[in-house]
Amino acid sequence: MSQANALQLTGISKSFDGFKALSEADFSARWGEVHALLGENGAGKSSLMNIAAGLYAPETGSVLIDDNSVRLHSPKDASRYRIGMVHQHFKLVRPFTVAQNILLGLPEQPGEGSYRKRLAALEQTIARKAEELGFVLDPRQVVETLSVAEQQRVEILKVLLAGARILILDEPTAVLTDQEAERLLSTVQSFARQGAAVVLVTHKMADVKRYADRVTVMRGGRTIKTLDPQGVSVEDLVRLTVGESAALSPTLPAAPGEALLRVSNLTSVAGTGGLKGVDMTLHAGQIYGIAGVGGNGQGELANALMGLEQPTEGDIHLASFGDLRTASAQQRRTLRIAAIPADRYGAALAGSLSVAENFAIGQLHDGRYGSFLRLRGQRLLEDAAQAVADFDVQGVRSLQQKAALLSGGNAQKLVIAREFSRNPRLILVHSPSRGLDVRATQAVHARLRAARDAGAAVLVISEDLDEVLALADRIGVMNGGRIVAEFDCPADRQAIGKAMVSHD
Amino acid sequence: MDLVTYWLSSVPEFAVPFALAALGLIIIERAGVLALGAEGMMLVGALAGIGMQLALGLPGLSLLAAMAAASVVSLLFALMVLVLRINQVIAGLALVFFCQGLTGLLGTLLGWTNRPVSGLTAVELWPLSELPVVGGLFRQNPMVFLTVVIFFAVVWFLNRTRSGLKLRAVGENPQAADAAGLPVLRYRLAAILAGSALMGLAGGFIAVLSTKMWIADMTGGRGWIAIALVIFARWSPWRAFAGALLFGGIEALIPQLAAAGVQLPQYFMLMTPYAVTLAVMVWVAASKRAGASQPGALGEPYVREERR
Amino acid sequence: MTELSQPLLKTSRQPLLGRRYTLELRQQMGWGGQALVIGLAVLVGLALSTAILVAAGVPADQLLEEFVGQTLLDAGNFKAVLFQAAPMILVGMAGCLAFRARFWNLGLEGQMIWGGIGAAAISIFQIGPEALRLPLMMASAIVCAMLWTLAPVLLKLRLKVNEVISTLMLNYIAANFLLHLLYGSWKDPRDNFPYSPAFRPFERLPDLFAGYNVAIVIAVVIMALAVWFISVSRAGLYLRFVDANPRVASAVGVPVRRMILGTVLLSGALAGVAGFIVSAGQEGRLTQSFYQGYGFSGILIAFLARNNPFAAAIVALLVAMLFVAGRNLQVFYQIPFSMVQLIQAILVICVASSDFFIRHRLRRIQAGEQ
Repeated sequence: MSQANALQLTGISKSFDGFKALSEADFSARWGEVHALLGENGAGKSSLMNIAAGLYAPETGSVLIDDNSVRLHSPKDASRYRIGMVHQHFKLVRPFTVAQNILLGLPEQPGEGSYRKRLAALEQTIARKAEELGFVLDPRQVVETLSVAEQQRVEILKVLLAGARILILDEPTAVLTDQEAERLLSTVQSFARQGAAVVLVTHKMADVKRYADRVTVMRGGRTIKTLDPQGVSVEDLVRLTVGESAALSPTLPAAPGEALLRVSNLTSVAGTGGLKGVDMTLHAGQIYGIAGVGGNGQGELANALMGLEQPTEGDIHLASFGDLRTASAQQRRTLRIAAIPADRYGAALAGSLSVAENFAIGQLHDGRYGSFLRLRGQRLLEDAAQAVADFDVQGVRSLQQKAALLSGGNAQKLVIAREFSRNPRLILVHSPSRGLDVRATQAVHARLRAARDAGAAVLVISEDLDEVLALADRIGVMNGGRIVAEFDCPADRQAIGKAMVSHD
Repeated sequence: MDLVTYWLSSVPEFAVPFALAALGLIIIERAGVLALGAEGMMLVGALAGIGMQLALGLPGLSLLAAMAAASVVSLLFALMVLVLRINQVIAGLALVFFCQGLTGLLGTLLGWTNRPVSGLTAVELWPLSELPVVGGLFRQNPMVFLTVVIFFAVVWFLNRTRSGLKLRAVGENPQAADAAGLPVLRYRLAAILAGSALMGLAGGFIAVLSTKMWIADMTGGRGWIAIALVIFARWSPWRAFAGALLFGGIEALIPQLAAAGVQLPQYFMLMTPYAVTLAVMVWVAASKRAGASQPGALGEPYVREERR
Repeated sequence: MTELSQPLLKTSRQPLLGRRYTLELRQQMGWGGQALVIGLAVLVGLALSTAILVAAGVPADQLLEEFVGQTLLDAGNFKAVLFQAAPMILVGMAGCLAFRARFWNLGLEGQMIWGGIGAAAISIFQIGPEALRLPLMMASAIVCAMLWTLAPVLLKLRLKVNEVISTLMLNYIAANFLLHLLYGSWKDPRDNFPYSPAFRPFERLPDLFAGYNVAIVIAVVIMALAVWFISVSRAGLYLRFVDANPRVASAVGVPVRRMILGTVLLSGALAGVAGFIVSAGQEGRLTQSFYQGYGFSGILIAFLARNNPFAAAIVALLVAMLFVAGRNLQVFYQIPFSMVQLIQAILVICVASSDFFIRHRLRRIQAGEQ
């Protein structure tokens, strides 16, 4: 492993609409090393790497390749400097074949021959390279029909065949099973051993400890420290990443009440995920957490329970009501069911409408703000103001401002304010702290616990195992569209992890 | 069987404008831009074609003028949707009304209305033109045969060239295309210019070779029908060609029936293309296949997005 | 894995505009700022139109006279403007309503046609006593227009059929049907021209006083109802959610399909009343081209007014002035009426382009930045 710097970013600052994503961040990766970039959601890791990949332009600072300062105006520039990035959200044209996708990014050379010839030659090259790397990939296969792990391999091949020597991988294991992740990371490690520089953007401490030669921790848009992961404990890494130690409020042993919601054999047909017969029961006064690797049906389960999608089979039985699938959205509110979906601006808030309106719509139907003939604006604004204060929604300069201006955490608080306004007895939450910083997450968790203590049944679906462990009284593990195991808390983390990744 | 013969021989002339306009639309929409301005582009082509024909009397040149004029006006559309990122539906509608107003105004002011021009003599494809009944299909003005050639050329370009692949990528997933280093906006601009030229050619054909004069609003909704055709054809050129033949056949039937003395209420006959278009739209929607073949990013303006 | 939809804030970098400037998304522009930008856009549009008019042969010094003097200050023409404003306000309202439900109702002309047909039918078949004739005509106009609107909105809700094409096709079908009637069984036997027999005196909209017709009153009343619907009633807030994000609206309990259906039918009804007003008011009979120009005008008015009913009424008045001036130009300077359509299109393009400046801000990159 040489000591020469392959990629260096110094003093990088970047803002988006007044939000400072990066403040004087520094980063350097050497040839021949795997360098992990560690941090929470929103720490700035992806933004920093997007600058290295030529997607964004920094406001201050510079990018150096092999100690030479360069200007990257587009991904094409980055590619010319042999930088290749595999993004979290794949940039693949789904109806095209593997070979066609890779062909798109390759520069045109004179004397290559016709399109067909070039494509055929490329297909051979792809097959060969894939074999070298140890996986099977049919270059003629249409991308849409590939699994997520296979699509990721296409992305990697794309970047390698374009000649990348500096590889940046953005949260690559987020969509993989443990086995696939292991395979990927060891492959990536061998690239580094062959001399390439590899940057691994991740929030998983275990991966960092196992595969990285060095790790740089980022927090709040700043670079905190660069160190050798072998010399630090996981707790130290956590402290660097999170800042002050997140005080975990002790979970009171909850005495679960009556069964409120019974889900049996919930099935839905979907592309790659889907539900394959989910059974579970939610009790009043209990937080039921669903853990699992992303893509095992959590989204479909959330949507089915919240009424956003209809399952094809199965029952959702609500005590003293009946089949919840038949309930309209208005009925759900009357039944005091609160839903906090993962996709805030796609399913919960209308971004272009005001904060007040987004709040008020929750209780509009039952006439709290006037009859059909006339809206009572005054009362609406008063209630909204009260809710904003009670739930600590910040950044509200005026209740009339657009909801889209709220930051992630405050938008979530607004949704909670609205959903909790009717004292719900059943709360369905999906990915509650996605995109939220530590403080906002703590506030959200406190609300959920308080609701549980007041007797509500709470369902928390989260792909963040730490969040589930912190909140839940009972944990169900979702794998392959079903609940495969259930645990009472405090639960054995290893056992849960095993259930999450086992294939049977 | 005279009726059938005459009808068949007149179908291509009616089908060509639909075919060319649909092909132009397909090029633009495959690149991801929703093009509702077909009616306007055809009118511009029609007027320009007539103007050039009245001036110089050379049909080839007039058709080229039609294509050029439509391309020039389409720059306005490109400005609206590519640079200013105006909602593509509004931009398309505004373009249509702009062109209707402009051509109506210019046609009257320049005195080009109702002045007949000579068309083109028909060309025979011997020996096919000697066949009974269908022989008439091969005795058409040269533009008809040229249309078939244009179709082959465009299909070859889209499916068998690298540039065609890139164009389709831009329409399916502009983020992926951008990440691959393709200049998304440049491809879309090229698509708009080329597609509009074809639509202008369609209009020029109607005015210079078919009706052989300029009348305000002479396209009579054919641009809108072409848009429906493209959806019906699921953005495939040859299916659009077939659809154009279908609509051409319907339009060609109307005068034939009248000539044969069939007593049908005149205005109901004139309604047929529009009613059929509506029926086709309903059928396509009901069979739920349209959505699957739509270019992935159709109608969404592309911005190299920067996320939080 | 669920994908987050993008929050509405995005920034963009436009290499097209050169390296020295960057475009940023503005967070929000107040009403005052928006009105200013739109006002400027309208002025630019008017300037362009003036240039075209001058090039077309209207003496420049006459323009102000034609557009303002002849329309507002001349008593006779002012009445004509008000008369013209009534159906304009109605189609403008119709546009506002439909667009608020995210429904591109381009079928305003077809709905007007059926409104006229419905009203004329009452006259031709002499349905109802004299005193009730006019209200019956209006009711019939509303019903016919609403029925004509039912198909496209149901097709969109049930089958997702694109309403741009469906409403436009219905326009052409309606226009042909009208011709069929006027050249056929409804042709005036007295002079064999393709229009219906003249409406009887009690079948025409009366003047209220001194030549000012009741049509404008009808329009204003309906405008008040539209304002109530949009800004005061609960349905208005539901509609705002449907317009902003139908998926969220459905998730929070707004009866989305019912709202869209009801609103679009109302839109059609208003166009029908416009048809009634034009044929029973201005024309006094059913003619073959009474509806022309109103379709795009409705869209233009709704667009310029940002779907706000009050603003729409004002814009409608201005468009009415444009129409009257346009007719005068036709008579005195032989400028074809397509000029009016062109001016309208230019205004729409200018205002649509100005939206870009409302959404973005040009920022100069400071020294030291890349």
